[in-house]
Amino acid sequence: MEQLGQLSTPILAALVVLFAPLVSFFIYAAAGKQLRTGIPAIAAIAISLTASIVVFCHVWNGEQIHQQISWFQIGEHAFGAGMLLNNLSAIMLLLVSAIALPVHIYSTIYMKGDSGIHRYWLYLSLFCFAMLGLVMADSLLLMYIGWELVGFASYLLIGFWFTKSAAIKANKKAFLINRIGDLGFLVGIAVIYTQFQTFDLLALFGEHGMVREALNDGIEWRYGEHGMPVIWLSIAGGAFFLGAMAKSAQFPFHIWLPDAMEGPTSVSSLIHAATMVAAGVFMLVRISPLFDDHVLLLIGTIGAFTALMAATIALTQQDIKKILAFSTISQLGFMMVAIGIGQYGVAIFHLVTHAFFKCLLFLSAGAVIHEMQHLKEKNNLAIDPQDIRNMGGLRKYMPHTFRLTLVAALALAGLPLTAGYLSKDAILIFAFEWSEWQSAWWKLIPISLLITSALTAFYIARLVFKVFYGKLRLQRNDSQKYHPHEASRGMLIPMLFLGLCSLFPLFSYNPLIFEDSWLIKGFELPETLERVNIYHTVIPAAVNGLAIVMIFIAWKWYAKGKYPQGSFQGALYQFSFHQWYLNLFYESGLVKPLLGFSKMLYAIDRVVVDGLVEKVTGLARLFAYASHWFDRSVVDAVVNGMGKTAFVIGGLMRGSRKGKIQYYIFSMFLVLLIVLFVGLKVFSP
Amino acid sequence: MSLLSVLIFLPLCAALLVLLVPTAYKTVYKYIAIGVSMIQLLLAVYLYTAFDTELAGVSAMDGYQFVEKLPWIRLNLGNLGTLEVDYFVGADGFSILFLLLTALVMLVAVLASWKIDKQLKGFLSLLLLLNTAIMGVFVALDFFLFYVFYEVMLLPLYFLIGIWGGVRREYAAIKFFLYTLFGSVFMLLVMVGLYFSVTDPITGNHTFNILHMMDSKNYVEGSVFSWIGNGQLFGISARLLGFIILFIAFAIKVPIVPLHTWLPDAHVEAPTPISIILAGILLKVGGYGIIRICYSIFPDIALNVAWWIGLIGVVSIIYGALNALAQQDLKRLVAYSSVSHMGFVLLGLASLTPEGISGAMFQMVSHGFLSAMLFFLVGVLYDRVHDRMIYNFRGLASIMPTYTVFVAVAFFASLGLPGFSAFIAEAFTIIGAFNAESVNGLIPRWMAIGGAVGILLSAAYFLWTLQRMFFGHTRLKGGSQWEVLLTDVNRREKLALVPMVLLALLFGIMPALVFDKINASVLSFIELVSRVNH
Repeated sequence: MEQLGQLSTPILAALVVLFAPLVSFFIYAAAGKQLRTGIPAIAAIAISLTASIVVFCHVWNGEQIHQQISWFQIGEHAFGAGMLLNNLSAIMLLLVSAIALPVHIYSTIYMKGDSGIHRYWLYLSLFCFAMLGLVMADSLLLMYIGWELVGFASYLLIGFWFTKSAAIKANKKAFLINRIGDLGFLVGIAVIYTQFQTFDLLALFGEHGMVREALNDGIEWRYGEHGMPVIWLSIAGGAFFLGAMAKSAQFPFHIWLPDAMEGPTSVSSLIHAATMVAAGVFMLVRISPLFDDHVLLLIGTIGAFTALMAATIALTQQDIKKILAFSTISQLGFMMVAIGIGQYGVAIFHLVTHAFFKCLLFLSAGAVIHEMQHLKEKNNLAIDPQDIRNMGGLRKYMPHTFRLTLVAALALAGLPLTAGYLSKDAILIFAFEWSEWQSAWWKLIPISLLITSALTAFYIARLVFKVFYGKLRLQRNDSQKYHPHEASRGMLIPMLFLGLCSLFPLFSYNPLIFEDSWLIKGFELPETLERVNIYHTVIPAAVNGLAIVMIFIAWKWYAKGKYPQGSFQGALYQFSFHQWYLNLFYESGLVKPLLGFSKMLYAIDRVVVDGLVEKVTGLARLFAYASHWFDRSVVDAVVNGMGKTAFVIGGLMRGSRKGKIQYYIFSMFLVLLIVLFVGLKVFSP
Repeated sequence: MSLLSVLIFLPLCAALLVLLVPTAYKTVYKYIAIGVSMIQLLLAVYLYTAFDTELAGVSAMDGYQFVEKLPWIRLNLGNLGTLEVDYFVGADGFSILFLLLTALVMLVAVLASWKIDKQLKGFLSLLLLLNTAIMGVFVALDFFLFYVFYEVMLLPLYFLIGIWGGVRREYAAIKFFLYTLFGSVFMLLVMVGLYFSVTDPITGNHTFNILHMMDSKNYVEGSVFSWIGNGQLFGISARLLGFIILFIAFAIKVPIVPLHTWLPDAHVEAPTPISIILAGILLKVGGYGIIRICYSIFPDIALNVAWWIGLIGVVSIIYGALNALAQQDLKRLVAYSSVSHMGFVLLGLASLTPEGISGAMFQMVSHGFLSAMLFFLVGVLYDRVHDRMIYNFRGLASIMPTYTVFVAVAFFASLGLPGFSAFIAEAFTIIGAFNAESVNGLIPRWMAIGGAVGILLSAAYFLWTLQRMFFGHTRLKGGSQWEVLLTDVNRREKLALVPMVLLALLFGIMPALVFDKINASVLSFIELVSRVNH
């Protein structure tokens, strides 16, 4: 094990990346309520960003760096703590800090005047620290620590407005569902540790790592002296995937994410872009050599299903943030499919492009909500500032916000010239190529993705048209004129930065061919896939053709106001609007029965277990009464003196529930004496 | 005189001092108690730092540190030989941490008794007597001495609950007393049986020396508990019966399901400082006893019944957690969470892997100050408004922000958030339990997964409580009157809470502080227990 003897530049830089937010966290923790400015937090994340650029320049396509110090030892096994920097962690570090910085800057305006602002910066710094720690961790244990801390920080942030009961229910839900995932992660770690006796990522999953070297003959999974039935390999992969499902909001654990919208919008943008939900995808890529075919198929299936399901729900939501939340779930499903078909680089590519445009979408939504909230407060309106039914025509009032939203929306829909086009096409094309090698049924995965991407174009177009086109629908109701204003510069500049990053030049000089992207080239492509040329032309055309049709329909319905009234209010609409009734199912199908069960167990505790104890003491008392009676009426008559003694004992025992302390001590010692006496008799040789 | 003896008898001297000081100088009592607890803590810290981590102890006398051995009772029993009882104390990896824990929790308990007015003299002298007894239990290496300390521990607790407790204090005290006495009476039988089965290899006399009892060579041939004789009592193998009796005695203290119902009542009725001691240390006496006495003296049986012990652990974890979920009294909730968290100790022990046993030890230490902290926090609320029903409070965060921070920290630390001690403890217990099937085949893997479900449930009841009591708009049963009474934590309370938070963090971030001290002992313990197979 190498000690941190000489600190090379990238290692030093990585330490700065990690600890800058932590220092900021401590500053806010120490200062308490007084420190309301965001400068320390912004400075910290800016330092992190600078340092992660340094790390990136050193590490990208260079040598991976692994540094470790010893942490503790149990038995003969030593456990280290350290960092593992390679292409994957370098790009993630850069992404996390590059997304976090604009969000921080945006927050200074968005959260201005909030009475709990000092807590906001405190939590945000912790959140960034946890995510950065998770990304650079060199062992499963450290990763798990970062993983849970991310969950904890998001709990704090989602419940930031803790007097709002919806917010605190949402953060509890988020944490508990993530805990289910943690359980999976922990079981996965336990399997790995049992098999390989280490948590070290490089030793386990490196190029000649133990996982690749382990033998699998279809019956036993063996490494060195240790082996277990091969089912445990699948269980391990499935367990880790369970963790990722909860964190990255995959069906059926996605339900926490829409509720998490109760937090400040700036927080949502961070959670949905580069942190938290990205953690699941990142973790799966980090440990990818572990997955066998069963687990990969499971990941792909769940991913495709989630993508489709979330897109159908996003079609009908009226809350601007909910639409975006379901869109995130859907896009995460795309990334899961990429993992399921073994295209880890593509998964990360989509993660990165999605981070930028989704963050931008949220910040734009935040700008709109901010303005609606402002109108609401100024005019004492009883409206929900997040409901898109109140919006409309904002294009005229907020032109910059509109343009930036448009860029992000096009990227989400996957239209050319955007970054989203590159990564989404990559996933679709690879999915079709992959299905060539599978049995016919698996064609369903790429086809469902194709349908999903058409739905995506529709729901995001609906959002844009309903919010920015037509007339401000607030206006209709009363005579007063409303004049929403453009977002302030402090919000627009971070958004502009994200907008630029959502376009193709950041990723590839060629706007149409994803394979030219430097990011994809940074990851090894699996050799098994044969390039099927036809897909590379047909699929982009199909995707874009569908998208344009969908956008046109949305334009007609929502921008032109030719919505086919009445035709979409049926069961399907309700099914989508109520999010497939999953929350209802969980509430009445799982939570209530569990609480009922726990109440029942408590009743058992009171009645059965305690009752048994009562019975035993009752029996003892009965015996005491009996002996008392026996003493008085039988023994007493025969031997007077002996009877008297027994009388005292019987009386003592009878009184044993009246709380006379001296009797207890006396009887205790009496019992001890008797037992000692009996013991001597029994055991003496 | 060994430092251990100072540690044991210092509080006893202080108790006498308290008794001698006239009631007119009442205020002095508390300072005597605090002073003694501080000295003890310093002493314990010194012992902790001076402890040599290379020495294992467990069954080897020369591996023990700070040893003191004096002849105590020599009674000629005629043809039964000489009754030999020694004052024999010493510390190894399994005891050293508990000394530190006891000293710390005792100090916190004294700080928590600041508001007690009723018969202060009696209260503090009993508390100090209890202190002596607990310290004694953790270092006694002579079974008779152990038993004396063990029983002495019971008496002050009975009075402390029965006199200073809540409304149903007498019921709770009796229940506690009966349960524990039930366990210890039979323990006495086994102790006597062991005495007659084991001889000192040097003098040839029967002995109560626990270390001698761990070596199968010291057993008299044909005696009840002899290894080879396969002695029987009532048709059951005598050694199995002996193990079960001792296990039940200690398991009542841990406590295990279904021998746990004394605990919620005792906790709820006990005054805050006693709840702190009960959860913080008393439960650990159970775990310690299982390691030091049951497993070490009956390793052959321990291996055979590992499956059952693991099962009891898992059942306790889940049953305790589900019961906690059903509670409406905050203190009862914390009490049931103790049942659940102590289940991990049994699960880890049953696995007999280094990870599992280290995890179990770590869990006991970590739960020691985390549960003390939880009960202290419940006490803070109860001191102010004499109510602790969850549904009578809401939105406390708005009026008691610092208190809420402490509660949130204690809750998250208890539910195993990384960075705090319970995380390392529970994670390694589960990893160790999982590993067992591959290493020694003692317990199946599903038990580890069952334990992990407990971690999930603990998050559920703690977060639900946070949501119900602390967040949302402030609404209290006592209305504005309560709002005045519910002041935020004061300086004395912070003084007690901050060290525990820091300790939980310190152990969570630097687990080596615990693991280094116990590692040699854990390995030697595993060697002791598993060598009977070879």
